Amino acid sequence: MVRTFGELLERYDRELFAYALRLSADRDEADDLYQDTFLAAFRAWPPPRRDNERAWLYRIATNKAIDRSRRTRPRVNLADIELAAPERDSATTLDIARAVELLPPGQRAAFVLRQVQGLPYAEIAETLGCSEVAARARVSEATKTVRRRIA
Amino acid sequence: MTLETLVADARMRLLARATREGLANVGYTVVDSPLGPLWVAVGPQGVAVISYGDEPSATDLGRLVRTYGPGIVPDARRTAGIARELDQYFNGRRRSFDMQIDLSGLTPFQRRVLRATARIPYGDLVTYKTVARRAGNEAASRAAGAAVGANPIPIVVPCHRVVASDGTLGGYAGGLDAKRRLLAIERGEAVPAGGWPPASGA
Repeated sequence: MVRTFGELLERYDRELFAYALRLSADRDEADDLYQDTFLAAFRAWPPPRRDNERAWLYRIATNKAIDRSRRTRPRVNLADIELAAPERDSATTLDIARAVELLPPGQRAAFVLRQVQGLPYAEIAETLGCSEVAARARVSEATKTVRRRIA
Repeated sequence: MTLETLVADARMRLLARATREGLANVGYTVVDSPLGPLWVAVGPQGVAVISYGDEPSATDLGRLVRTYGPGIVPDARRTAGIARELDQYFNGRRRSFDMQIDLSGLTPFQRRVLRATARIPYGDLVTYKTVARRAGNEAASRAAGAAVGANPIPIVVPCHRVVASDGTLGGYAGGLDAKRRLLAIERGEAVPAGGWPPASGA
């Protein structure tokens, strides 16, 4: 169980920053999302369920990203997305990034949580505040859209 | 620019902001020493924990969380003063510490024993019984021994200067080897160049 903000950062801040990069247009926006997410977590401490701080952080980040994307038009800095997924070959990364950019915010989060971060569906459901069935449907819908666009 | 450096920068800005907003009030770092890594925490009143190893003991962390809440974060700036003093001490260039110590969260008896321990001069050796007497209860030498043994701020509160009445070293949280080395520093024996080899069996 995480007992301090320091432990929370040491365990999760790297993957949360990578997640923020994938949900953001560029590294500055990702940095803002990272700051907002952890400050909100510190202010709201403790998490509602003490055995799942990770899903709680993802949920805060996802909600903040969705709120923001409703206010601003999406743009994607492809170099920064590649930074978050350096293991992929760049052509594929670019194609996927362009396709992901066009998804509606809820689907974009579902896609990234599953296909990039590799979270189990139970955690995705918790993150997005929906049922596991709905989470599977959203991931599947988003994946289909992305596949169609990069085909 | 890598993900690592982006995260490190973001974390520094986050911690500065959390500290300004009063969300973080204890800073920690891991200091390299000739006795191996030391986990050091500094709170609003001064040095609160020095733990042998690169993580705090469950007891020390529990006391910090009970006293200060969850706002315990990595902070090289807040810990820079004590890190420098420890370095000077290990190099034989410092005989007492200027940083305030923070004994909050301990019982009044533990605090009296540790205050008495903190007053033992550099290089001296005293027995547990003497510490108990100086803490105001000579009959409680066993309890004083327990309080010295649970010292959350070793080195700065020099519990390594407390030994058994039969002349043996007694115990030490960092291992008896560490206790011997601290006493050797205080006898003026220089730390070998490059520090001691990693403490074995410590």
